[in-house]
Order: sequence, then structure tokens, then C-alpha cells
Amino acid sequence: MANDLALSVKDLKTFFYTNKRCNKALNGVSFEIRKGKTLGVVGESGCGKSVTASSIMQLLPRLSRIEEGSITYHSERGDIRIDELERDGAEMRSIRGEEIAMIFQDPMTALNPVYSVGFQIGEALQYHTDLTKKQRGERVIELLTAMGIPSPGERAKQFPHNYSGGMRQRAMIAMAMSCNPKILIADEPTTALDVTIQAQIFNLMNKLKSENDTAIMLITHDMGVIAELADDVAVMYMGNIVEAGTVDDVLRRPQHPYTRALLDSIPILGRGRDQDIKSIRGATPDPYERPKGCQFAPRCDFATDACEVMPTEEAVTDTHRVMCHRYKEIFENA
Amino acid sequence: MGKASLNRKFDALRAKEEAGLLKPASGSRALRKMMSNQLAVAGVVIFSIILLASIFAPLLTVHDPLKVDLRSMLQTPSAEHWFGTDRTGRDVFARVLYGGRVSILVGLGSALLAAAVGVGIGAYTGYKGGWVDVVALRASEIFMAFPQIILVLLLVSITGQSLMNLIIIFVLTGWGPMYRMARARVLSLREEEYVQALQSFGVPTLKICYKHILPNALGPIMVNITLTTAMFILAEAGLSFLGLGVPLSIPTWGNILNVAQDLRVLQNNWWLWAPVGAVISLFVLSVNFIGDGLRDSTDPTLQG
Amino acid sequence: MLTFILRRILITIPMLLIISFLVYLGLELTPGDAVSHMISPDLTNTVTEEQMAAMRESLGLDKSFIERYWSWLTHIVQGDFGHSLSGGVAISTIVLDRLPATLELSIFALVFSTIIGCVLGLLSALKRGSATDSALTVVGMLGVSIPEFFFGLVAILIFALNLGWLPVGGRLLPSYDSYWDHFPNIILPGLVLSLMMTAGVMRYARSAMLDSLSREFIRTARAKGLPQWRIILYHAFRVALTPVVVLIGFRLPTLIGGSVIIEAVFQWPGIGLEFIGAVRGSDYPLVMSIALLSVLAVLLASLIVDVLTAMIDPRVRLG
Repeated sequence: MANDLALSVKDLKTFFYTNKRCNKALNGVSFEIRKGKTLGVVGESGCGKSVTASSIMQLLPRLSRIEEGSITYHSERGDIRIDELERDGAEMRSIRGEEIAMIFQDPMTALNPVYSVGFQIGEALQYHTDLTKKQRGERVIELLTAMGIPSPGERAKQFPHNYSGGMRQRAMIAMAMSCNPKILIADEPTTALDVTIQAQIFNLMNKLKSENDTAIMLITHDMGVIAELADDVAVMYMGNIVEAGTVDDVLRRPQHPYTRALLDSIPILGRGRDQDIKSIRGATPDPYERPKGCQFAPRCDFATDACEVMPTEEAVTDTHRVMCHRYKEIFENA
Repeated sequence: MGKASLNRKFDALRAKEEAGLLKPASGSRALRKMMSNQLAVAGVVIFSIILLASIFAPLLTVHDPLKVDLRSMLQTPSAEHWFGTDRTGRDVFARVLYGGRVSILVGLGSALLAAAVGVGIGAYTGYKGGWVDVVALRASEIFMAFPQIILVLLLVSITGQSLMNLIIIFVLTGWGPMYRMARARVLSLREEEYVQALQSFGVPTLKICYKHILPNALGPIMVNITLTTAMFILAEAGLSFLGLGVPLSIPTWGNILNVAQDLRVLQNNWWLWAPVGAVISLFVLSVNFIGDGLRDSTDPTLQG
Repeated sequence: MLTFILRRILITIPMLLIISFLVYLGLELTPGDAVSHMISPDLTNTVTEEQMAAMRESLGLDKSFIERYWSWLTHIVQGDFGHSLSGGVAISTIVLDRLPATLELSIFALVFSTIIGCVLGLLSALKRGSATDSALTVVGMLGVSIPEFFFGLVAILIFALNLGWLPVGGRLLPSYDSYWDHFPNIILPGLVLSLMMTAGVMRYARSAMLDSLSREFIRTARAKGLPQWRIILYHAFRVALTPVVVLIGFRLPTLIGGSVIIEAVFQWPGIGLEFIGAVRGSDYPLVMSIALLSVLAVLLASLIVDVLTAMIDPRVRLG
């Protein structure tokens, strides 16, 4: 079992300390990423998806820190506790980019405007491989070709502003894949792109996964994307994973009221204009004025007094767990 | 900040947060930010003290800044003459106070006038567009192509020295940057949806421009006024120091410093130039602190 | 790049024409006419009225204003600015004589303030919130608040009069053999002139650096596993450089202006000192010529800045 894991996160708490307040952005999060599989993380903005990614990469802003819990990277050299490494120390830097790579939401701003794309991809190679300058140049062109960028030789010399949005994201992926990482974290990689480009990017990611056995953590707010790409799913709400399991578990047999509400709020193509789309009432609470118990209780149709106490994670099946006091009753009613 | 001290700070914040002691802040965000900026508060205090001392000069000193007293020439500071006396026996403290009136009038007055002219033209022509905009833009380019002090001196040489001329010259040479900024703000705000909504309701151009667009550009305008004030005060001091600013018969901070051109005065009579130099520096410093505080508190991109 | 520069030069020409026209207008409205500007006043006694009239005619002073302007302009383009009213020296001679001193001082201040300002700004941004940062912020504030001439006076008092380490003023003395002999003379005026500019560059470099450090591409660079120094110098500083270069370009007129007062304080025999003398003596041809040249210098400086930014920032080259 442990052999096919790429990364495990246990009870991770990451707090932010901006504006002289303490924001419990991640309040005890546990999950695993399997080798060669895609873990989809869904949730509304501000739920802690990106903070989870930044915690794994140790790319958190200065005024934040990992409080408790562990992030374990199962490398070929043995397990490495990422949370215990120094943020910008040599070890962490050698993992970043080489073994765990990341692509970001907005390819428009994620590339440095004053350097050519080829230079920026080559930089990762320069620090993680022993390739000569010439070999690096060849590898860059090889990568761009693999990403389906036409005339890669010329494109490598061009600057990000010469690229279209979709091409920039491909360049980002090329950069992330340059050292054949074991884990790829994709933080909403297509949110800023057109829908048609979106499909191309996802095909590319799927291809990489099957060819290189890369584990992917895909962060998104789009349930449709999850259904399409993910093997495993984690649903996040206000700094907790409220439900997690395989795609079948979560999408076909949702247990948490929040997951159900999310699924109910998606219009389904072909069902016509009379379909019953439910929005989730209320809004996500102020992170500084959190509800005492279950974070979803104020917006939940099934909340009772029991929900004033924080629920614990309970296993529904071997692969499926949920964080709700009343999931059994609700499930029966449905 | 070291890692250990950062960790201690985090621990303290976390403990307080968990005890439920921290409450969301209330009141105007801009005002709160300004007040929490200690330098800006210090700036306001120093500015007010110097300004009030100049306005109420007659209450603070019994001496007449212009009265020549040949029996008490070049006296060192004493209880009678706080900053001593100059070569014709005039009380330096009184001269600094009364000089402040003129210097601040020239600096602040010219800056406000330049802002009124620049913003007025910039907001109108920027919103209107067309040939008026082109003409105004070219005019500002011409004024801004000169190094400021060269243009000022050029105009002084043509018009001759007087208080009024100097203010007019400052306004002429200073409206350009204000105009540019106001115009740029209006051009970007003009495209905003709320302005287009007003247009579709048929609200007159002038009214949209001055009632709905300008207030949104107020923050940067205020910042610019403070910076321009600082610049003009320095310019007046520099020009008067050279003897080319306000006529020497009127006491201003620059004119008081004029005597320090003489190296003997510089070496032997420190009270003639050190206090007034310090006052100018402090005043400009306070204006700059206020400007910085204003910028930080009104610029939404600097949140957090 | 060449077409970029050529296009940039072409768009400044109408501007220069308008300004030269205004300057000529000013010249016409002030006392003295072109003949008195163009012949050396030493010769006025030997020149008869008829000769003057003939000269006026040959100069075309009986012609229309526009024609006279055109003739004045063509002379200027050929480097003939006419004569100074006092002493009757050709203005071009005066300018050429004084220019090296001013250039020397300005370049000293420019180089010094750019390097020191950038380094301090970088340091301040990297140590954000530390005691070093606060100290540099306050010092920077003082730097832009103390009048330059006052700072110059205090510097003269301390380092020249009391300590006697450096000369009070002046530039070249007859006793100086080599060029480097006058180096002590430039230290005080150079540093004082640099002060305000350094403070300005530092404050700006700090905020530009903080801005670029907060950008997304910095996170990308960190995600690539690059070492800290490379992220700071290659990614953050390189991007922060563009606004800093633009700011330095904008400040160049201030530097030219600042040197006017500093030259007066230190009796540095440059264009600025000459300009003040001309303003005091109502030597209008000289005042106007120097003003026109200063505009030329500003336009040239902004051209250089544009070329530099185009070289640093690939995005600019398109526009």
C-alpha cells in the first residue's frame, strides 16, 4: 500500500498572521496522493486549496507558518518530512522543481516578462541537472515540442508577451515537467484560459501522467473537471477536507451536505432550461469569525444543535471518508 | 526580522486569537492606516506647530522682524533674542516666524493654485478629448521640457523679482505634473462602467467630470499637492538664497539664509543660518511624511 | 532598434521647434536686438550707424518676424548662438568653456546616486520591516527634505572650514598639474548634489523591488528551486530595474536644475554658475541660449532613457 503513495499529508495546520490577526487557513487536513494518479481538490475560493499546495511546496508567504501536522514525501531515497525542512534551504530547493513541480493559475503573470521562455525553462535544468548549456537548449526545444508548441526553436527565444495564454500555460507545464518530477501540483491551471484550450491542457496533463507515472494534485473549483480527470477527490471547505474518496465514491455517493450542494449547483448540459439548479444559501463566513463547530453548519439545511461541535473524520468505506455528524441519517433520507 | 522573533509574534497572535481577544477593526480604513503610521502622525504634528507658530507670530515674539537695531548687532542667542540677532540687529527668531508666513504662503499657496489649475484643465480636457486635449497636452509638455529651476530663473529674469511674480511663476512651472496625473486618472475612470452608466442617463459632461470622476482621483491629487508643496518650499529657499527669489526686503526662510553665502558668517555666526535651516528641513520633512502617509493610506494596491 | 531611435528623435523635433520659437519670442520681447547680440559689444564704438543699418539689413531685421526667427534658428543649428551682452564673447565659446565642469559634476552625481541608491534600496526591500529598513527610510526622507544648498553649506563648514580636509570650492587651480589634482574639489559638490538623487533612487528602488518581489513570477522562480540570490538578482531586481531607470530619467532635469544651485554654493565654474550670472546681469541672449540648451539636454536624456528601457524590457520594444 505505502509503496504506491507519492505524498501523504497528516493533520496539517497552516495559519496566516496578516493584519495583526491569526487566520486558521488550514485547520487539520489529511490526504494522500498516489503515484501515477490524479487527486482532485475542489472547493470555493478561500477554502484553503492553494494554501495546501503552497504548504507542500513550502512557498507560503512570510507571515504564515505550518503549525502542526506532517507532510511526508515518499521519495526513492526514503521518506522526507517536508514540513521539517528549512523553507528556502538547499534540501527544499533541490526537491522543488526537480521532484515536486508546480504550475500556477495565471500563466500571464507566472512567467517573468523580461526573459525569454527558453531561458526560464532552461533555468530549472541548470540547477537540477548536469546538462551543458547546449544540451539544455536541446532539452528545452524537446520539451516545447512535446507540449505541442509549433516551431519550438524560434519560440524558445521569444518572450512571454509573444505567447498566447494557452501557449504560456504549455510553457509553464514544460517548465514544470523539465526535470521529470514525481509530483505535479496544478493550481487551477485552466481557470484563466478559454474552454477549448482547457481541454488541450488537460489532455496534455493526462498524457504526462500515463507516460511518466507522475502523481498529480489538481486544484480546481470546477466539479466537471474533477469528473473528467481525477482518480481521487478531496472536497475542501473553510480549511478542512469535508469529504474525500475515489471519484466514484464522492461524485456518485456524496455523503456530506456540502458536496451534495456543490453537485446540485451544476447545470447539466442537455437537461434543458427548466432544470432545478440549487444555489448554496448564504456566503462563506469571514475567516476571522468562524462558526464554532462544523464550519458549514450556518449554510447547511440539515444543521442541528449537535453541529455546534466540530465533527471528526469518519470512514464510510475503506476509501471514502466524511466529516459530518449526521451523514448517516441524511443518506438514509435521500 | 529574524525567524525567532517572527515565531514569537505568531505565538502571541495565535494565543490572543484563540482567546477571542481580537476584533475586526472599525472606522475609516484610510484614516486608521494614516493614524497607525507613526511618521505621518509626527508629520502632522510638526507641520501644525510650524504653521501655527508662523500664523500667530505676533503672540510668540515681541520683536519686529524688520526693525533695525544697530546697538545690538550680531548678538548670540539669549533669553531676549532666542536665535540671536543679525548684522543689522534684527531679531532672528522673529524673522524665522514671520519668514515662515511668506515661505509657507509661497509653497503651499503655489502648490494649491498649481493643483487647481492643473487638475481643472486635466479633468476637463481629459474627459472632453479632441483638440482641447491635444493643445493642453502639448502645452504641458513644453513647460515640462525645461528643468524646473531653469524655467523659473528664466521667467524671473524676464518679469523681475516680486512675491506675486514668484507665485505666478511657480504655478506656471508646476501645473504640468498635476495636469498629467489628473488627465491620466480621468482617462482611466472615463472607461469605468459607472461613468458610462451616468452618461447613458444623460448627466451633463461637466457634472460627471467634476462631481463623479474627480472625487475618485482625490487621493493621488492630495499626495501630489504635498509633494509639490515640499518642492516649492525648497525652490523658494534655494532661489532666495541665491538672491533671485522673493525680494530681500521681505523676510522669508530663504532670504534669512542668504547671509550664509558669506563664509565668515558660516563659520562664526551659526545662529544666523543653523536654526532657520533646521526649520526649513523639518517643515519639508513633515510635509513629506504626510505625503507618504497619505499615499500609503489612499493607495488600495498597498493593502495588507 | 535603430528605427526605434530614429522615430523617437523625429517626434521630439516639432517640440524643439515650438520651444525654440517661444525662446526666440522671449528674446525679441526683452531689451536689445539681434544686432547687439550678434556683434561683439567691444566693436560697437567702431561701428557706425550706417554700418549697423547695413548689418540690420543684411541680417534681415527689416524682414518679418518669422523670417528673422528662421535666420536665428539656422544660425543656432550651425552652433552660432550669438554673443553675450556682457563681454561680448560668443555664447558658443562660453558654453563650450563651461560645459566640461557641469558634465563632470552631473555624471559624478548620476553614477554615484544610481549605484548607491539601487544598492540601498535593494537592501531596504530585502530587510523589509527591520531596523536597517526603518533607518534607511528615515535617512532617505531626510535626504529629500534638507535643502541641497543648506546641506552644502554645512558640508563646507565641517569638511572644508573646520577640518580643512577638502577645498571650499572652485574647480581648477593654476597649480594643478594633472587632471586628478582637482579630484578633492569635486568630492563635496558631487556628494551634496548626489544626496537628493540618491535618496530618491533609494526610495523608488525599494518600492519597485517590493513590488516585483510580490509578483507571481517570483513564486514560479521559487517553485523551480532556484537559489535565493538568483531569484533576487535575476528575477526581482531585473524587473524592478525598468521603473528605476525611468525614474532616473525623470530626475535628470532635477539633476541639471540642482547643479545650478550647487554650482553657486561651491563656486563650481559650470553652466549653472554662468546661468545665474546671466540672470543677475539680465544677459538675455545668454539666459535664453542656456535655457534652450537645457531643454535639449532634457530631451536627449529622455531619449537615452527610452532606449535603455527598450533594451532592459523586451515588452517596450513592440510599442
